[in-house]
Amino acid sequence: MPSFAFAGTEQTATDFSHEIAAILQKHCVGCHGGREAKGSFSMNTRELLIDSGNVQPGKPNESKLIELILATDKEIQMPPEDKERLTVAEIAALEKWIADGVPWDDGFSFAPVAWEPPLKPRRPELPPIVDRRDNPIDRILDKDLATHQVARPKRIDDAVFLRRVSLDLVGLLPDPETLAAFLADPAADKRKKIVRQLLDDRVSYADHWLTFFNDLLRNDYSGTGFITGGRQQISTWLYDALLTNKPFDQFARELIAPPTSASQGYIDGIRWRGEVSAGQTVEIQFAQSVSQSFLGINMKCASCHDSFIDRWKLDEAYGLAAIYASQPMDIHRCDKPTGRQSEAKWLFPELGNIDPAAAKEERLRQLAALMTHPDNGRFTRTIVNRLWYKLMGRGIVHPLDAMQSKPWNEDLLDALAMHLQNEKYDIKSVLYLIANSEAYQSESVVREQATDSAPPGFIYQGPIARRMTAEQFLDSVWQITESAPAAFDAPVLRPIVETGELKSFDLAGAWIWGDSAANGNVPAAGETISVRKKFTLSDDVVSGAGLITCDNSFVLFVNGRKVESGDDWSKPLAVSLKRLLRKGRNEIVVVATNAGNEPNAAALFFDARVTLANHEQLTLATDGTWEWNPNGPQSQEGRLGAIKGDWKPVVIVPAIAAWTTAIEGSGKHLLLQSVNGEIRMTRTSLLKSDFLMRSLGRPMREQIVSMRPSELTTLEAVDLTNGSTLANYLTQGATRLADRWNDDRSGLISHLNQFAFSRMPTADERIVLEGSLSPVPTAQEIEDVLWAILMMPEFMLVR
Amino acid sequence: MSYEIDPTVPNNIVRRDFLRRLSAASAAALACSAPRALRAEQHLPVDHPASTADSCILIWMGGGMAAPDTFDPKRYEPFRRGLPVKDMLSTFPAIDTSVSGLKICRGLPQIAEVMDRATLIRSAVQPDLGSILHSRHQYHWHTGYVPPQTVACPHLGAWIAKVLGPLNPVFPAFINIGQRLEGVGESEELKAFTTAGFFGSEFGPVNLPIPADAAQSVRPPGSMTSGRFVNRNRLFKKLVEQNPQRRFMSDYQQESMLRSFDNAYRLLSSGHREAFDISLEPESSRTPYGVSRFGQGCLLARRLVESGARFVEVTTEYVPFLHWDTHSNGHETLERMHEEMDLPIARLIRDLEQRGMLERTLVIIASEFSRDALIEGVPGSTATDQATDRVDQVTEIKHYGLHRHFTGGTSVVMFGGGMKRGFVYGRTADERPLIAVENPVSIADLHATIMTAMGISPQTGFDIEGRPFYVTQDGQGKAVQELFA
Repeated sequence: MPSFAFAGTEQTATDFSHEIAAILQKHCVGCHGGREAKGSFSMNTRELLIDSGNVQPGKPNESKLIELILATDKEIQMPPEDKERLTVAEIAALEKWIADGVPWDDGFSFAPVAWEPPLKPRRPELPPIVDRRDNPIDRILDKDLATHQVARPKRIDDAVFLRRVSLDLVGLLPDPETLAAFLADPAADKRKKIVRQLLDDRVSYADHWLTFFNDLLRNDYSGTGFITGGRQQISTWLYDALLTNKPFDQFARELIAPPTSASQGYIDGIRWRGEVSAGQTVEIQFAQSVSQSFLGINMKCASCHDSFIDRWKLDEAYGLAAIYASQPMDIHRCDKPTGRQSEAKWLFPELGNIDPAAAKEERLRQLAALMTHPDNGRFTRTIVNRLWYKLMGRGIVHPLDAMQSKPWNEDLLDALAMHLQNEKYDIKSVLYLIANSEAYQSESVVREQATDSAPPGFIYQGPIARRMTAEQFLDSVWQITESAPAAFDAPVLRPIVETGELKSFDLAGAWIWGDSAANGNVPAAGETISVRKKFTLSDDVVSGAGLITCDNSFVLFVNGRKVESGDDWSKPLAVSLKRLLRKGRNEIVVVATNAGNEPNAAALFFDARVTLANHEQLTLATDGTWEWNPNGPQSQEGRLGAIKGDWKPVVIVPAIAAWTTAIEGSGKHLLLQSVNGEIRMTRTSLLKSDFLMRSLGRPMREQIVSMRPSELTTLEAVDLTNGSTLANYLTQGATRLADRWNDDRSGLISHLNQFAFSRMPTADERIVLEGSLSPVPTAQEIEDVLWAILMMPEFMLVR
Repeated sequence: MSYEIDPTVPNNIVRRDFLRRLSAASAAALACSAPRALRAEQHLPVDHPASTADSCILIWMGGGMAAPDTFDPKRYEPFRRGLPVKDMLSTFPAIDTSVSGLKICRGLPQIAEVMDRATLIRSAVQPDLGSILHSRHQYHWHTGYVPPQTVACPHLGAWIAKVLGPLNPVFPAFINIGQRLEGVGESEELKAFTTAGFFGSEFGPVNLPIPADAAQSVRPPGSMTSGRFVNRNRLFKKLVEQNPQRRFMSDYQQESMLRSFDNAYRLLSSGHREAFDISLEPESSRTPYGVSRFGQGCLLARRLVESGARFVEVTTEYVPFLHWDTHSNGHETLERMHEEMDLPIARLIRDLEQRGMLERTLVIIASEFSRDALIEGVPGSTATDQATDRVDQVTEIKHYGLHRHFTGGTSVVMFGGGMKRGFVYGRTADERPLIAVENPVSIADLHATIMTAMGISPQTGFDIEGRPFYVTQDGQGKAVQELFA
């Protein structure tokens, strides 16, 4: 039904849909319609056609379209030389159509018809529970599988599950000890427990998801724009938001309407020095970023002209931009002013509007409120779709930033979105739900070709293996080789002691001295004694730290080496024991001295926590099993000199209040910090991008990136095969491993396989690896074995 | 000098096999990569022009090569105290070339002799972006698009790699010589365009910042012997064979990963990598290129093109305030730059010619813009003056030179690859402002010319994020037909 009424339109008005559309379709739309817009000219809609200036309604003689159709110059004629020309009748029809005022059918467009997604949240009705698979995801997917007559993928075993879920939730491999403990755990709900435990490890969680959000919010620690002060990081804010698991609605609000400058960088975008095209001003960047990050809308087309591929219009892009703009904005079409000005406006007026008269900060607050409006299902669907993709390998809507396209299962998308909203926008609750589903815990699909190229009508068959990100790959390499750099670049506060951890952590040491403190006696001023503890460790030390203090002073020796000394009992000191203790016999000796001019209270306190390679955790604290000796050592520079005389059991000294205060206050925190600090590896996500990371797909973050490359290219393979960065990590790791496993080739082979693949080697693999390792493996042999293992698809993929 | 070849694989088989595998890899890459050829999607073949060149060497004069002090000499004013800056057009006198009537600047005598093989464009123009940031103009020049952009734009070398693929299948298609990307000023900005962008890293570049170290980049790592390298790969293969995850053997992702490792191994163990090793060049033909990094880069570029590289960029290197980026002391600096470029470029042209390769190799000398003694940007620009010493008169030698960035008229030289010989196109004014007054050539048209020579339609586009993206801005670049022989 033609809906455009024009003055002077004749009775026999042109029938657009039957006469004209067919002519345009035949001759013009191939290049100037649908997704094509040669010369930036699309005639998808009447508005686009008129806007282009190629048609003057009512004036066929002044219309460029007709001029070009009639042209005989091969350089300018339309259609071009190699295409069929229009017939006289067709030209006449177009002329009449233009003379008639270019009538057009309401809503008609040559653009591909896009599915219009619902906006409001929806609670889907869940199918009945089958086989006690009661996770809502499984209820929906079991029905989906049945409908499509696809067999349920098999359940994965505990080891495959642990590797997958660790890499997915915290981005790290489970180490062999964790794996062994998990496999040995008889609890029926151990998978649930480990999911909870991983999500509760808030530092590792933040380290891992920082990458996802840096990509999504195009945040980085170096890059274009910083040089001229045209860009600000939000790293400190973002990391804290992840640590505290900030509800996602609040998270979005703080990004869109920053309460402080800490999250300001996101909306401010990247300001290049000099002039910028109208489609890339910071205001337009704002419109593009907000719609892509939170709504999965690609506003890039509409920033320059009405989109040819979806419903978004130039005015809508500018409406969004105007919310952020400090000054009224002239709407530009393809960099040319249209003469119109934009008015602050939001994309879904059914949820409410922005007051264009309000101040900028208020407009941003209004936008933040509309974005996170409880009825904005687009907001929740967009983020849960991204999370689903991360864990399951393919979006329910795919690609992720085409949220206007139809999901392969609407119920699933809506159920997840509803779950997020019901759980107060707790991202971890969605991850928990997915990770605990049978769907997640089933075998990855083997694909003969990339799903991305499959025709529409994706059919779910199971999870899809994902390639490790650059960050997951390097973190895993560092875990195995212990070659992570010591310091990181991200300006984040990475707590190494959790408040809860501190509360549940109790010091174990007793205050001890020699016989002069027995029976409530007070030791003499200046008394020097030696105290020792001998013990045997069943394995190498993975991490370990101790806390020590003495009233009044001490010198600490570990295995004969002087490690620390102190003379202020109110300030306990922490010492790292990792490289000092060893498998087998060890000895700790403290030379303690009392001060003062007359007898006074004296005592020594020591408390160390040590983790062994075999996962054993030990406490080495002063207690009644320690021994004392009235003599000090013979002086010897830096080393412990001989101590003559007999060793007797120490005396436990009742703690005086000031001592307890000293160790319970700063001391306890210090010990925990030192213990954790040795465990918490620097993560790739916290480092500036380097050549290897870029090669492995870490984006430049000038644009928002929601999907990393899934294929490993030849040039990446070259970098992995002969690049010096990876080679250095492998050399460092090989040296350590050679040292640790020098008498145990078989153990080394098991260790590497367990760490890399979360499984023991098969007999055949063992034979292959033994063929490359001498009975006492050299560092060089181990380096090559490491390389071969780390390059295996089984390692590089999260299956 | 020896190089290691995988003794288990005869060389000719390596190559044939590589071809087969590579075409399979490309098919896989095409199937999954986000960008799809626009027309391919619509089953309309792109009408690519017939190529006049198989390979391209871009000699990049990063930092702003002053046309009036190189290829477009104007009225010469020798250094003297009291010389008004407004009177300074060229600081070098003109010399004759092998083309009658064509003059270039003193200091380029060797290049002057090969100008009869050149097409000289004197009217290249760039937009004045309101404020000069070298890396931003370089981004524009190398990708055809002014940053920021909504997508990661591919470098023109990546476009060529994507559309044409490698000339020799063992070779990476896009090689970038001489530009350090770490530890130099504006390095993040340089990285932003030294990339295949949305095409993905398969399409380059391979960065070889130090030509003398290039051999290392295609050698087994570090001090690894060939025997060890072969054994390591053998171990990898055996582990793949023994992998108990049998069901994934047919998985395309696993297959493509393994294929990439095969390709890498073949490149690193094949005889072709000797092209990367300039120390293998006989001394008689190495000496003329000199010992500068740029000279060695030209030699490396020649060796790579000889062995079948598709697109090679070689640069005098952009480092803020160094080389061509003369904010002060321009004349003296350019004396050095002349010396650095003259012999290697002339030698490169002669070498290609002697080898019968110049016909099908397009060599381009270009820069992001020109320089002027007085005007920043273009006449009337609001761009901030960035000259170090803002004097009206020359009182010291450091004031003598072209210390402002000028976008109104720049020279581009093209050799071979189907271009005319001994031909000058376009003209800049003889008096300031030295803007292009005849046949201005935009970056889009220059790119269209290069692409046309390479047999790529300037309208070639890919669908990225559902949106068309063209090799020349919005598909609007038009080749300058007059340049073609």
